[in-house]
Amino acid sequence: MDQRIPGQSPGVTPVSVHFVNNVLAAAASYIEEDPEAAREVLAELGAFLSHRLRGPRTVSPAEELDHIGVYLRLEQARFPGRIEVELPAVSDLPSPRVGAGDVQAPVSEALSRWMAQHTGHVRVALRARGDAVDLQLDRPDAPGEAGERLRIPWGVATAGSVA
Amino acid sequence: MTSGLAILAVDDEPRALTDIKRLLETSASVERVATATSAKEALVYLSGGRYDALFLDVAMPEIEGMALARLLRRFADPPAVVFLTGHPDAAVEAFEVQALDFLVKPVTRERLESALTRVEQHVRGNEAAKAAPPGEATDNAAAGPDVVAVDNPKGGGKRLVRLETISFAQANGDYARIVCEDGRFLLRTPLSQLEKDWAATGFARVHRAYLVNLKHAVELRAQLNGTAVLIMRDDTEIPVARRNVAALRRRLHA
Repeated sequence: MDQRIPGQSPGVTPVSVHFVNNVLAAAASYIEEDPEAAREVLAELGAFLSHRLRGPRTVSPAEELDHIGVYLRLEQARFPGRIEVELPAVSDLPSPRVGAGDVQAPVSEALSRWMAQHTGHVRVALRARGDAVDLQLDRPDAPGEAGERLRIPWGVATAGSVA
Repeated sequence: MTSGLAILAVDDEPRALTDIKRLLETSASVERVATATSAKEALVYLSGGRYDALFLDVAMPEIEGMALARLLRRFADPPAVVFLTGHPDAAVEAFEVQALDFLVKPVTRERLESALTRVEQHVRGNEAAKAAPPGEATDNAAAGPDVVAVDNPKGGGKRLVRLETISFAQANGDYARIVCEDGRFLLRTPLSQLEKDWAATGFARVHRAYLVNLKHAVELRAQLNGTAVLIMRDDTEIPVARRNVAALRRRLHA
């Protein structure tokens, strides 16, 4: 079902048209009642697309983590009040280079899957390790309930992952 | 339709729902807008009130929009469905469930008004069909869906066929065989459902096994036993049941 923006270079983790369209719809909804929020959403979307549409390139883990932060703020704009985010401190990050979007894409895939299967709040927590990022999704209002965990290696391309 | 449209907008994304609600509320053709954030909530609204159309998000948790649309088709008098989505590729599936229109988010004002015009025409068509004598559908300009997604025998998948190009549909169990300018296709919908869906677009049930596009008919030939044969543009002969002959003759001569 998902569709990627055409014309993206080979080797670049694709961006989902579905995600972009829904972020634009969220931005449109803010225009009248909160123009500043609308401008922020559009600025964040611009930053997100800039990271991904500049062709094949590697970035530092800090840049990729910043990109994930942008992505999660866009998801929070789509679903206000539903998503809590915990990101690791930049000082915790290792040094290898990663493909732009290579870590964000599986985070997005996991969160989209979660949102499709659950209603209510979700906590998205990322922990940086030397060789990977650990993603945990759970419901903050259901302590003790098993959430979803995913280990995403730094620098391993995730072909087929989207936005 | 004596006043403006009553619309139920359904989307699990609250901001997208706010956006479509505002657009709908500021349209001259809309009188009332309700919103629901899930298919379950939408069903509660539908059980408690009458809506002319649902503006329905495709991707939602628990019950997806497409599943809700399929469920609505079992209603005796279902509201029209206009899909809202960020997935442009969902269009074919949307037409398969006889959606009236398909809008990609964020929706432009012009595109929304075009969808609302189709909803108005659909509502008028239904009202005219209800007012017409039994067995005598109307040729009101009001339109239902003007495209249908059929099974494509070449390579699988779906193929979009314009209703105006369809000559007739023939019952085939729970399926219908569609005969159109581009060939013959199978549609996973019973003829009885197509009769309802296409009533406002010039189709008439002339026989238990045949639903005919009267715009493709060129001659009604009476038979000695009281039945008739309808001759189509391509010389195909469609049997007309005895009980349908008089109504069909009146309709063709109208």
